[in-house]
This record gives sequence, structure tokens and C-alpha cells, in this order.
Amino acid sequence: MADLGLIALVIAFVVALVGIGMNLAGAWLKRPALVVAGRNALYVVGGFVALASLALVLSLVSRDYSLTYVANQVSNTQSLFYNISSFWGGQAGSLLFWTLVLAGFSVAVTLAQWKRQPVLRPYVTAVLLGMLLFFLSVVIFVANPFSRLWLMPDGSMPSALFAPAGAVPAQLTDGSGLNPILQNYWMVIHPVMLYLGWIGLTVPFAFAVAALATRELGNDWVRTIRRWTLVPWMFLTAGILMGSQWAYVELGWGGYWAWDPVENASFLPWLTATAFLHSIMIQERRGMLKVWNMALIFLTFQLTIVGTFITRSGIIESVHAFAQSDIGPFFLTFIVTTMFGFLALLGWRLPDLRSPNHLDSMVSRESAFLFNNLILVGIAVATLFGTLYPIISDALSQILPIEHMSFAAPWFNKVTGPLFVLLIGLMGSAPLLGWRRSSKETLVKNFTFPLLFGLAIGAVGFWLGGQKLYPTISYAVAGFVVGGILQEFYRGAKVRRASKGENWLVALSQLLRRNQRRYGGYIVHLGVVMIMIAIVGVNVYQSEGQANLAQGETIQVENYVLTFNGLTQSATPSYDSVEASLQVTRNDRSAGTVTPAMHFYRTVAGRDQPTNEIAIRMGLAEDLYVVLAGWEGTGQTASFKVYVNPMMSWMWIGGVVMLLGTLAAVWPHQKETERVLAPAPAARGAQPA
Amino acid sequence: MNNHIKHSAVDRLWGKGRWQRAVVAICIALALVVPTAQAQENPPPTLDQIQAVARELYCPLCNGVRLDNCDLQACVQMRQVISDRLAAGVPKEQIKQEFVAQYGPVVLGEPPREGLNWLIWLLPVVALIGGAVWIFMTLRGWTKAPAAPASAAPAANPLAPSARAEGDDYLAQVDADLQRLE
Repeated sequence: MADLGLIALVIAFVVALVGIGMNLAGAWLKRPALVVAGRNALYVVGGFVALASLALVLSLVSRDYSLTYVANQVSNTQSLFYNISSFWGGQAGSLLFWTLVLAGFSVAVTLAQWKRQPVLRPYVTAVLLGMLLFFLSVVIFVANPFSRLWLMPDGSMPSALFAPAGAVPAQLTDGSGLNPILQNYWMVIHPVMLYLGWIGLTVPFAFAVAALATRELGNDWVRTIRRWTLVPWMFLTAGILMGSQWAYVELGWGGYWAWDPVENASFLPWLTATAFLHSIMIQERRGMLKVWNMALIFLTFQLTIVGTFITRSGIIESVHAFAQSDIGPFFLTFIVTTMFGFLALLGWRLPDLRSPNHLDSMVSRESAFLFNNLILVGIAVATLFGTLYPIISDALSQILPIEHMSFAAPWFNKVTGPLFVLLIGLMGSAPLLGWRRSSKETLVKNFTFPLLFGLAIGAVGFWLGGQKLYPTISYAVAGFVVGGILQEFYRGAKVRRASKGENWLVALSQLLRRNQRRYGGYIVHLGVVMIMIAIVGVNVYQSEGQANLAQGETIQVENYVLTFNGLTQSATPSYDSVEASLQVTRNDRSAGTVTPAMHFYRTVAGRDQPTNEIAIRMGLAEDLYVVLAGWEGTGQTASFKVYVNPMMSWMWIGGVVMLLGTLAAVWPHQKETERVLAPAPAARGAQPA
Repeated sequence: MNNHIKHSAVDRLWGKGRWQRAVVAICIALALVVPTAQAQENPPPTLDQIQAVARELYCPLCNGVRLDNCDLQACVQMRQVISDRLAAGVPKEQIKQEFVAQYGPVVLGEPPREGLNWLIWLLPVVALIGGAVWIFMTLRGWTKAPAAPASAAPAANPLAPSARAEGDDYLAQVDADLQRLE
């Protein structure tokens, strides 16, 4: 089975190489048959990558311990579910998984866009095949999941594709299993979401390259990639939030985000992609900012690769760099090559990208979008700087009197926190500003209610929240954004009611249906505000307590009192469990029991690392979060960490709202609207967003 | 009473400079030898009190892990040091400074605001203000630039009712939408 996988990879590699050649030759020689053959090469590559993936999954499921990857990821006691998810649980497998997802996106975009993009298509296919070629080369030459374990005469067990001299195949009867802290549903699904996001963002990049190569730099490719950017962006958003959810329910420190290099790596392309999603609207409507948008889409693509490089090459210490190896030089070469290649292409086409820039007024949505871009890119640059500072400080310490240093949450929060508040303020303002210009009357008309609403919410926040400055500002800004969104929905529905006689509910749904981009966008903004409320709530108002309790003793945190009832022990095929039971009373009323636990997995990987099974009682106003930290003897005393996290649930609700909003914006339901609004794409009748 | 006065004097001295700290350390050592001067009146600190200090410190070995949540043996020992210092009556800020002196600013999770490190704090602000000024100037240039023919004629859109048009294309568009439907 493994041999089949390896052969499939090699065939895919060769076909990808040939396919790139056919596409480029077909484009240059104007031979459509070659381009079609190049497209078919992509399908063939996709098929063989899928075959190799299937081979790996079957090896994992059948516990073929002759493979190094299987021996490291699977164990006899591990469940089928985690054996399958081990496909992307380690270095080599996750790179093959990356290749598979990339092949999936490539085939999908080719199927969807083949007829619509007669000029761009050979280049799009060539870029996608180029990416596949790179990942295939990494998977084949550096981190091969089909590499085998061999037993040498001296007893050592090297991993190699083919038998080293004098070696016999190693005969293992059990593997070490997936790292137990990764054995969580969120951790299984979250990398998949991140990959769908990161890899999906290759598609707009491929179109950008094709547009540059063909000089077809009009609005056509821009419209095409809108959905191909929004959907990966949605997956990336979901992936980041699910990763936070995993950290929250699994790591047991009461938090969800630690500015760890791996987390930052997922966040960086999100920031630039968000900037791109906004600034591309200016290009779509006004034909401006073509160079800037090219730079943003390239930066986004590049950051997905840089993020992978940072987290897997081991150049920066990270608590969750689960997969490290010597793929660093490969990635670095690729990053540098694509950077110079793209810059050269951009420089070559620069004269074609110059557009007459004209702005009617400083007070316009265009300028709000540009400042939004500045802040998003600013946050990205600061985050990248902070992430790379351990390396930067090492290098600088040779010539300057500074120490090696790495930053943690305090620096990131202090630097990016105010930027986020500014950003969200702009997020609320931009929709209230008209394209082109806003007159004084319009400003008064559009801003009065949201500002008052924001002030009111800020005042309530000030009063309820202990008279603190930063949360008050944050909640006022949140109120302003929500006020603006409510006003937009209200006005739109009012117009429909007046002219079509629809009731409010119908008017609202018709509003969304007939202008998905605009109102979908508002819903996304609403989700962002909810997440902001959660972040401020937890960061500012979290309470915690820790205590060693004997049976019958209590710990109090805020208005919760927890009484320790005792420990119980149990076992499943995969792990032993020690579970504590605590009686909860809230405001002197009984509120049931919570049962935090620790699991001791029976795998090699799990032996020295018990996992926390945190008891979380979620609520709209606050979460009660109880961690069993340890115990003495046979459980007469146990120590607990208890957190009360205000507003935490709004992070997950906000995430769901963001996803629904994005889905509403991209849902293919738009034909009618497009037809109606098509006549004036450059002028104001075009679809607003 | 006597002990109490001595104690606060120690508090004030501690942290004023390394040589002074050394003097204080010697004094403490001496005080420990002389039974009458022993400063062990404080009750042992609670876990909450220890965590309150640890919460503001970061593990110097792992990147970005808060000391109150780090399971490394080194961090367990660091929390023990916090416990001992609290028991000795040392205030939180001072304990943090002692950790910085021993492990470097990495335990604070942020660079100290002194010397060249100021750059790390100021550069983002300067860059952002610089960027904002740059965008502002660019935009101002654009407002003075002649309008491009393609985008010069908002009024050319016959579907935008002129009464609504100015600056409020949203309602205009809803209207336009509705008109076309009817």
C-alpha cells in the first residue's frame, strides 16, 4: 500500500512538471490543444495525489508500523477516528494533506472557471501546478510519509525510503500514538479549516499572476476571485477561532490566545486577506489601487507560506510546534524565489497597472478603506515583528547593546490592542460613509444615531464595568458599530416596506437576499463586534482562584462557591481517567456539579503528559472554568484552578455569526441582482458591498 | 514591633540598586542568624497570592507561556521562590524586579522601556502615524487630481434619483433596485 502511495507521488510530481511546460508552451505558442493537455495534467496530478493520500490513510488505519509516520502517529489503543485524523496530525502527513487540499482547490477552480477565463487559464493552471510541484517535492524529498523504519545491525532504527546497507525492516508491534493534547475534536477539525483557508488563498494569487502575465488587468479577474478569496477567508476565520476554542478547552489556563508563533502564523494572512477583501472593492468600483491590491494578495499568499515555514522549521520556539523537521531550507528557497519572481513580474507590468487616481472627497468610504488597510497591515507588521523578534534580537545583539528577548502577550496586547479598537471604529464608520463623498447633511444623518448608541453603551459599560477606561472605550466603539448596523438594516427595510408593502421580516430577508454582499458584510461586522466584546470581557474582567482543597472544603471565585466532593478513577481502552467532583453554588443557589478530570493516555506519547479535561459551564454572561491541577495521596486533597470568564461565549457566537455573514455574502443566489445592477459597473449603480 | 519597623526598612531598601540589594541580602542573612530579628511573622501565602504574582510573569524557557500555567519543573521552582519571597513580606512589584534581574526582561513578556528598547515600543507608533500621514497626503493629492473620464459622471447613472443621490447612494440604490423591479 505504501509503495503504491510513493509511486503515485512520483507520478504526480512528473506529471505536474510536464503540465507546467504544456500550459506555458500552449500559452506562448497559442496552441489550445497544449493548454487543454496542461489542464488534464492538473486533473491527473489531483488523482494521483488523492491516491497517495488514500494509501497513507489506509496505512494509518491498518496500523502499518513499518512506516515511520504510522509508528509515530498511531498506536494499538488509539481510536479509528484519531488514526484517520493522524493524516494531518504530524509533519509529513500534514504536508501531503496540504498537497491534497491544494489539488482539490486547483481542480475545483479549473472546473468552475475554465470556460469563463480563456486567456487567463493556462497561467492560472501553471501557477497552481507550480505550487503542487513545490509541495510534492517537499513531500517526496524531505518529509516523506511513506518513509520506512529499518533495523540496523547495531540496533539503531533509521527512517529511510529504501533499505540502508545491512538493514532489515523494523518489526514494531505498537506505535507511539498521536500527541494526546491533540486528541480533541476541535484539534482534529481546526487544522483542516486552517489549511482550507491558507491553501485556498493560493487561488487569488494564481489569478493575480495570470492577470499580470497576460496583461488582462481589468476588472474581470477581480470579480472572479471575489468568492475564491471570501471562502478561504471564511475557512481561515473558522480555523483561527476553532484553534482558540481548542486552546480554551484543552490547555487549561483560562485563555484562548497566547500570541504564540503558531497562532500568529495563522493570523498574519488573515489580516492581509481582510485588508485585500476591502481594498479590492475600491478597485472593482473605481479602478484604483491596482498595484496595492497586487501587493496585498501576494503578501497574503506569501504569509501563508512564511507562517508554515516559521512554525515548522524550528527557527522559533513554540509551544505547539508539533511538527518540526529540516524542511526549512526548502521553504526558504521557495519564499525567496516566489518573492523575487513576483516582484519582477509586478515591476515588468507596472506601467499597465498605473491608473488615474481621483478622489472626490477625503470624507468617503474609499479613504476609510485605505485607513482600514493601513491598520490591518500595521497590525500584521507588528505581529510579524514580534514573532520574529527572538531572531531579530539575536542578530542585533551582535552589534547593539540589546539582549535576546521574546515577546509574550503583554507586548502584543499593548501594541495591537489600541489598533484593533481603532480598526473596529473604522469598521463602523466606513459603511456610514458614501462612496466618493459624504456631505455634511449625510454625515449628520448617518452618524447621529450610531454615535449616540455608542455613547449610551459606553456609559452602561462604564457604570457596570468598574469605571475602567479601556473597556469603556471598547464598549462604546462596539455600541457605535452595532448602532450603525442596526440603522442600516432599519433604513433598508423601511424603504422596502414603504415601496413594496412588505412586513418587517420579509423586508429584512429580501434586503439580505437582494444585496447579499452589503448585508452579509454587515453581519460579518456584527460577529467581529461580538468577538471584541468577548476579548475585552475576558482580558479585563477575568477572575481566578486556586486552592488545595480537602474533601468538603470550598473555594470561592466571584459569586461561585465550589465544594470538593472527592476523586474517582476510571479507565477506557485509550486512557485512565481521574475525575474530581465539585458541588457548585452560585449566589447561594445550588447549580449542580462540575467534573474536571485528567486523562493519562496509554501511548508512548501520552505517558509523561496527562491531558486536562476542563469542566466548563458556558453561559451568555460568563463561563465557569474549572481545572483539576493535581492531587495528593489517594485524593484526600486536590488542587484546582477556577476561572470566571465574562462574555467568553460571545467569541464563539461571534465566530458563527461571521461565518453566516460570509455565507450570506457568497451564496450563489445573486443572478437576479447581477443582471439588474450590471449596466453601470463603474458608476454608483454597481453593487455596493 | 521592632521587627515590623525593621521589615519595612528592608522593603524600602530592596530594589534600589544591585549593591544595595547585596547589602540588604547580607543584612537578611545576618538577621536569620540572630533569632530575635527573624522576620517570619507573615503567614504562608495562599495559592491565590502566589498566582497573582505568577500571572504577571512569563516562563523564561517556553515562548509566551504564563508562569502561573507552566508545568516545567523550573517554573514550579520559580513559583516556590515567589512563595518564599511573599512569605518574607516582599511586595509583588519587587518580586517581579528580582525575577527580571535574574532571568532578564523575557519574564515580563515585553521589553523594558529603557535605552534602545524604547524603539520597540515607539517604532510601531511612529510607523503607523507615518503611514497615516502618507495616506492622507496621497488622498489629498487624489482629491486635487482631475477626475478620470470613466468615473467622472455619477450623475450619468440615470437610475440614481438625483434628490437622494448626493452622498447617500445606498438609499438611492435601494430605490433604483425597487424601480427596476416594478
